[in-house]
Amino acid sequence: MSLFVQSLVLGVLLGGLYALLAAGLTLYFGVMRVVMIAHSAFLILAAYLAWVFTRETGLDPLLSMVGTVPLFFVVGVAIQRLLMARLRPATLTMMSVLLTFSIALVIEGMLGWLFTGTQRRVRLPYGGADFEAAGANVAVVKLIAFVLAALSLLALYLLLTRTRFGQALRATIQHPEAARLVGIDTDRTAGYGFGIGLATAAIGGTALALDSTIYPSLHWHWIGPLMAIIVVGGLGSIPGAAIAAMILGIGQALLQIPLNTTWAQTIFYVALFVTLMVRPQGFFGGRLAQRF
Amino acid sequence: MTVPNGLRITALAAASCLALTACISGDDQGTDAEGGDDTIRIGISLPLTGDFAEPGKGVQQGYEAWAAYTNENGGLLGRDVELTILDDQSNADRVAADYERLINEDGVDLVFGPFSTRLVIPAAQVAQDYGFLFVEPAGAAPEVFSQGFDNLFYAAPAVADDHYNHLADAIEAMPAAERPQTAAYAAMDDPFAMGTAYGLKARLEAMGVTTVADEVYPPNTTDFSSIAATIASSDADIMVGGSQYQDAVNLILALQQLDYQPRMAAFSTAPTNPEFPEAIGEKTEGILSPTGYTPEADYPSNQEFVEFYTEEYGTAPGEDQANAWTTGQVVAAAVEAVGCADPEPDCQQQLIDWLHENEVETVVGPLSWDADGRPEGAHLIQQYVDGQIRIVLPEDAAEAELIVEKPAW
Repeated sequence: MSLFVQSLVLGVLLGGLYALLAAGLTLYFGVMRVVMIAHSAFLILAAYLAWVFTRETGLDPLLSMVGTVPLFFVVGVAIQRLLMARLRPATLTMMSVLLTFSIALVIEGMLGWLFTGTQRRVRLPYGGADFEAAGANVAVVKLIAFVLAALSLLALYLLLTRTRFGQALRATIQHPEAARLVGIDTDRTAGYGFGIGLATAAIGGTALALDSTIYPSLHWHWIGPLMAIIVVGGLGSIPGAAIAAMILGIGQALLQIPLNTTWAQTIFYVALFVTLMVRPQGFFGGRLAQRF
Repeated sequence: MTVPNGLRITALAAASCLALTACISGDDQGTDAEGGDDTIRIGISLPLTGDFAEPGKGVQQGYEAWAAYTNENGGLLGRDVELTILDDQSNADRVAADYERLINEDGVDLVFGPFSTRLVIPAAQVAQDYGFLFVEPAGAAPEVFSQGFDNLFYAAPAVADDHYNHLADAIEAMPAAERPQTAAYAAMDDPFAMGTAYGLKARLEAMGVTTVADEVYPPNTTDFSSIAATIASSDADIMVGGSQYQDAVNLILALQQLDYQPRMAAFSTAPTNPEFPEAIGEKTEGILSPTGYTPEADYPSNQEFVEFYTEEYGTAPGEDQANAWTTGQVVAAAVEAVGCADPEPDCQQQLIDWLHENEVETVVGPLSWDADGRPEGAHLIQQYVDGQIRIVLPEDAAEAELIVEKPAW
């Protein structure tokens, strides 16, 4: 019983992190029909920046977000305006895979060149700390990552539903032509949308760095599950991605009890296949995805 | 400007082909120009990128240090040695192709082995096909020695299954009531890492220690929380990790997060890494690890090795560097004794035969092998005592006393 509760708690914490990491990915697709393979490479880049920050200054890695979040936003806008916008609309989705794949390789290569392939870990005084709640041990670092994810998702939700920019962004997602007709500058909106997506990578990467070793090629390990999450959740739907992330995260943690680590990982791909067979537009959102 | 898509793709393909051809032919000229009769050329493929990049680079440093040292001291048979090192990206297909190329195209005189079992087996197969002597620094799993290779020699004191033998002996020597009653195992899905953990598992089960958790995880695992949850809920007395490096660090932190306190904890490889105490934040006291090498060992050639290496690289050598150096020593001993170093099957066979019949003095002690290339020794057991990693077993080599009850981490 206690193992079940413990795994459930771990699953919720893991699901929260997945939700944040997948939110940005689904946002790019929603805004621009872009499949952003490099999203997880930017996560790892942010994790490395947090690690370097802590190594050089001795301060908490969370403080590195003061710099990395705005930086990633600007880089995101720049990538959208300078690279993505130049792809032909007719082949945008396909070509964005190639383009972002190359960006991912550039980031991986650069990290390998600068920091070598050695596994790094941010050393934290509270790295092994925990407290007990409801019969389960909750690791402090995992809770921080979860809270960070929850706050960012809440902020993203409020931004999208309560601000004029959010309305413009959602209008751009739903129907770009109509949005242009009512006077929205969809190009600029899409650029900012891309920037916000990349800013979530900065937060997600920092959260990741708190409780995991990092190495340049780690991003390949993440992109598969994240892609599966956004398809299950419905491409372009942020609440859908969050719900799918939570369900799959908990599912993965619970499946490890009867199965082993190797097989528990397959839940993402099983869910992906089932979704494509039964409900290709995704389970929770995704009116959008029907058009593709 | 509009250019038909087909034309663009054709142009791109043509340009790529040209670029590729340029690279390949550039490469060929490079190798042809080097090496005459006055050098002995040694071909090696190592995982310099990918899963095994970290230990792969350690092995590379060991090989390069050995070559530099040998050349400074008159070379082999009076000839300089020259290493050709390729990167196999930790990929088993590439490593076979690499050795094929080294032997066939580059025409090297000798080959040294790559890092780790998964790469050693395909590489040894190629060497076997060409009749080459194959001494390797890091393939210690049982599979390596059950393939029927007669050209293979493992240049380290013991095979994976025997790494924990001294620890198993020490536990067996305890009064039955004081022995751990339950054990939890977590091993990377890797022949070497699993071999170490399951070698100890077999011994412990034979003396009646109950297995309460037995987890295997893929090499790329970074989230160990669920494995840790299973182990923590089993509350085993002894925790045995068949680990490489980052997996042990992540697993230990995940176990600490769940407040699991085993009476004994042993992990292969990781604790001997100098970065280990840095990574897990000095909660290392009492952690056990088998090691095939320590710079403090007083074997005759070891002191020279440590001095030379420290001067060259600024730090003392680790196990990977030592095993690479040992590989060099073993091959050099055979070459000097037989008096030849060329790719001819005759010469290679003489080298192989010589090693089957003789003992070689190395930095990890005197080595001799059985017919399948298994070294006939056991690993030292080290433990973190007062914040330092010290040899605790066997007793005649011990630098510190074994801590039986591990302090809380």
